[in-house]
Amino acid sequence: MSAPEMAAAHRNIRRLDRIGLALTLATVLGAILWAFPLYWAVVTTLKPEAEVVQAGVVLWPRHFTLDNYFHVLFDTKIGLWYINSLITSGAVTLIVVVMAAGAGYAISQLAFPGRQALWWMILASFMVPIQALIVNHFILMSQFHLINTLAGVVGPQLIAPVTVIIYKQFFDSVPKDFREAAVIDGANNFHLLFRIYLPMNWGVTTALGIITFIGAWNLFLWPFLAVTSQEEMNVSVGITQVFDAFGVKYARDLATAILAAMPVAIVYLIFQRRVTQAIMLSAGIKG
Amino acid sequence: MHSVELRRVSKRYGALKVIHDLSLTVEKGSFTALLGPSGCGKSTLLRMIAGLEEISSGQCLIDAVDVTQMPPANRGIAMVFQSYALYPHMTVRDNIAFSLSIAGVSKQGQKQRVSEVARMLQLEALLERRPAQLSGGQRQRVAIGRALVRDPKVFLFDEPLSNLDAMLRVQMRLELAKLHKDLRATMIYVTHDQTEAMTLADQIVVLDKGVISQVGSPLELYNRPSNRFVASFVGSPSMNFLAAEIVGAEQSGAIVKLPGAASVRIPVRGAALAAGPVELGVRPEHLTLTGPEDASAVLGGTIGIVEHLGSATLVYVDTSAGSLIVAGEGNLDVKAGAAVGLGLDVKHAHLFGADGAAL
Repeated sequence: MSAPEMAAAHRNIRRLDRIGLALTLATVLGAILWAFPLYWAVVTTLKPEAEVVQAGVVLWPRHFTLDNYFHVLFDTKIGLWYINSLITSGAVTLIVVVMAAGAGYAISQLAFPGRQALWWMILASFMVPIQALIVNHFILMSQFHLINTLAGVVGPQLIAPVTVIIYKQFFDSVPKDFREAAVIDGANNFHLLFRIYLPMNWGVTTALGIITFIGAWNLFLWPFLAVTSQEEMNVSVGITQVFDAFGVKYARDLATAILAAMPVAIVYLIFQRRVTQAIMLSAGIKG
Repeated sequence: MHSVELRRVSKRYGALKVIHDLSLTVEKGSFTALLGPSGCGKSTLLRMIAGLEEISSGQCLIDAVDVTQMPPANRGIAMVFQSYALYPHMTVRDNIAFSLSIAGVSKQGQKQRVSEVARMLQLEALLERRPAQLSGGQRQRVAIGRALVRDPKVFLFDEPLSNLDAMLRVQMRLELAKLHKDLRATMIYVTHDQTEAMTLADQIVVLDKGVISQVGSPLELYNRPSNRFVASFVGSPSMNFLAAEIVGAEQSGAIVKLPGAASVRIPVRGAALAAGPVELGVRPEHLTLTGPEDASAVLGGTIGIVEHLGSATLVYVDTSAGSLIVAGEGNLDVKAGAAVGLGLDVKHAHLFGADGAAL
């Protein structure tokens, strides 16, 4: 490389460095703007209520306190709500994954009358938002006497066409030789699903399980309609019961919200790769 | 006793018939190769024996039992796939033991059987590995082990060596031959590679468009092909074909006029032949290079391309009858462009009629 060429290359590198620095600064600023409300919420929960409602912006508590968390943890039913959330989210996750895997396997691998029509129905169900079915769900659960029960909360959440579609796509991609080899070895459909197809797609199962769990944990609308008794509420509905007759207690309300969101945030932090994978899978289908 | 018997089996996909009323017997303990070009129906036939494809009409019998309607697992067969189909999430041990665990064999029984098979195939050190950690040859041995553990009546192989490199293919061919010799099991082997068929099989079934062209031992097919298709498919390099004409028939054979006006007497077995156009087939090793004016030359030509293989030399000679291949032993000192004559070993020449059948 000649001297003028080297000089031009150095100028380009310096220009790229300046652009890179500007982009980095813009990204950091965006991150701060995004994270600040979360920071503000956490910091608020660590202040006494009197300090919260004072004029001015106080970025760090003058008087640090955990009273707000103690109140939520010991003076409300949040422990019970956590258990209810765990039961309903766990049940939804397990049942959805098993049923969707079975349905996806049947549509992918089995020949039966009406298979194509069933597949089109599952695809078409994408066009119907869950919110449009809320009234029907309520009437149905009411007829089954499942209102105000955990089973009633779980039931309508078992409709998961995305999960069926993702499993079907992945099972379609399993080479036919594996199936044939297993059939020659004496495997029936039960063996094929649980010993060949599901284990070969364990990563997808984990991803779908995590995202189903997170979705079920965070769900508000249906549990809010289906349950009025505090004993049967999950945490997303239960936190609406934490209020004071004498005005809004910001610190306590924020502490309730943070405690409600924390388990899912921890699950996300541990499994974020799988969550991203699951979102990409479902986005790919919806797109 | 026949180990496998196919009685007038046919296979149809809608209106398309791919196997046409095919009948075949495979002797117990034999190694039978199904040989043919792509699309001839050899894999389909194998899969019909395995039960992976439905037989549209006809019967399949294994050890005299009609298995036509039986599911694959009950037929007493085991199959080695072209892709090996080793379950990627299982260890070698679990892959081999899979059929035993499905059958409900005890853990102890599975362990014992897997150990026997692993010892036979030298897989003991690999039992805890997964397929992704194995080489091509090792995977192939695991696939064979998985078949072996079922103690089947018939082993079915669907082009098991086609994914291997040339050197490994030769090595695995020897291992398969040794396995057959040790087990004396009935093996049916699909391949499009005639070298595999010729070296491994006791019996070769040549298929063409869903129909059996010829069944016989490797040397029978090589030395006495019953039709032009078998003659051209078996043998590498392939047989040379010249348009010729029968101009007379004698007790000892037919007088055949070649392009370029030379006539030769071809010893043809069987009844007297009518005069008329035929095709003369001759293998490259049964043609010899002579001087262009040599009395023994039946054709003249010019050397085109010369291929030195080390142990042999292939010479492509352009003649009035087309380009002919001559195979000579060792390293022949020939140059492209040289004029040559071609001598013909008439004892090894073949005549084919207009319908392709050998005369």
